Amino acid sequence: MSSASESEIQLLIERARAGDTRAFEDLARREERALYRHALRIVGTTSDAEDVVQDALVSAWRSIASFQGVSFRAWLFRIATNRALDQLRSRKRRPELPLDPPDDDEATWAEPAAPGPDLTQLAGDREALAAVETALEALPAEQRTALLLRDIEGFAYDEIAVITSVEIGTVKSRIHRGRMAVRNTLISRGWRGPEG
Amino acid sequence: MTLQHPHAELSAYIDGELDSAAQAAVDGHLDACALCRAHVAQLRATAAFVRALPDPVPSRRLVPRLGAPAWLAPLRTLMTLASGAAVFLFIASALATNITLLAGGSAATTAQEASRDRAVIGQAPPVAQSASTGTPAPAPVPTTSPNAAFAVASTAPAASPQGKVSVDSATPETSKRLDDSAARASAAPGGLFNNNPQDQDAARVTYSAPQRSPLLNPWLWLALALICGAIAIGLNRRLRASA
Repeated sequence: MSSASESEIQLLIERARAGDTRAFEDLARREERALYRHALRIVGTTSDAEDVVQDALVSAWRSIASFQGVSFRAWLFRIATNRALDQLRSRKRRPELPLDPPDDDEATWAEPAAPGPDLTQLAGDREALAAVETALEALPAEQRTALLLRDIEGFAYDEIAVITSVEIGTVKSRIHRGRMAVRNTLISRGWRGPEG
Repeated sequence: MTLQHPHAELSAYIDGELDSAAQAAVDGHLDACALCRAHVAQLRATAAFVRALPDPVPSRRLVPRLGAPAWLAPLRTLMTLASGAAVFLFIASALATNITLLAGGSAATTAQEASRDRAVIGQAPPVAQSASTGTPAPAPVPTTSPNAAFAVASTAPAASPQGKVSVDSATPETSKRLDDSAARASAAPGGLFNNNPQDQDAARVTYSAPQRSPLLNPWLWLALALICGAIAIGLNRRLRASA
């Protein structure tokens, strides 16, 4: 994000805090799709994800005056993530998956049989992406949330710690375990890892 | 696998989240460990896979409309109530229509059976009695239409100077005409199915189905209920999208 757009966003935030509805709508529109894809991969269904984002944005507008953080985007994601996890807990659609299993940094490394195909070739492979989606869905929600915030939304570990209200060490563990689980799923489906 | 392998640090390493000392330590290990280098490459590739996932698009606008008009909520309430009232009227009009049809259907059946009996045994039809005693029973009209059952409020022949006359308040002339008509119908060789054109004319003008009010049409109320319900749902979604 350029410094010019950052100053523009700061101006919009100030105007929104002063009660300017158009400024808030402008800010929300910039994050609408990112919030939606994040919520969708947490709750799993489009209608629930849309409701989560809509409710989160309404909630954000009502509490905009109390916003004092550095990152408005992280603040929005915090509200949306909490909403999505609450939705998931209330629905209990995945009772077999604990939200936050006990930490175990020494995760098992499944090894590929031999060096495999090129990464760019696999990245365009629908089957590989479908396997990644499946692996993400099978993750505990807290690990999935941390991994999505890192790998898709690009948040730093300290921002993810603020968004998910946990210690940075927990964030580090969740991301690593989630990434390992996805990697192991790909390996189990025949992926032999990048060459080199 | 040995404890010297910094497995738990590898994700933070590729994310650049280790402090400089830890980063340097992992770098040093990777220089000497092919296995950890392979793991780092796999984790990088896994992160790239996650980043490459398709970007879903919401089916509707998710940003709240903060300037929602004040009349939206009352209109939603009004539409909800109107929809409920229309559903009630739909049920009520459907029941009323069915009850009328059922009552009419049984009366017509009774009249037809009675006429058939009279035609067989050659007795005088009781229509005149019904008319003279004020009993609201239909005459033996040779018809199978259930609408004939609505003849409770029967009318006199159009040419009659008395105009519309109910059976209850039938004049002696009307009763006599009914009596004559019914007697001809029963005395005819065809019995119940009288082919005499004059008699058919008399029967045709004697009874006619009453006009049903369009407000008694249940489908009108059902359509209204659906329209009001759809508007209420739309307004509700609009309000939910508003702060």
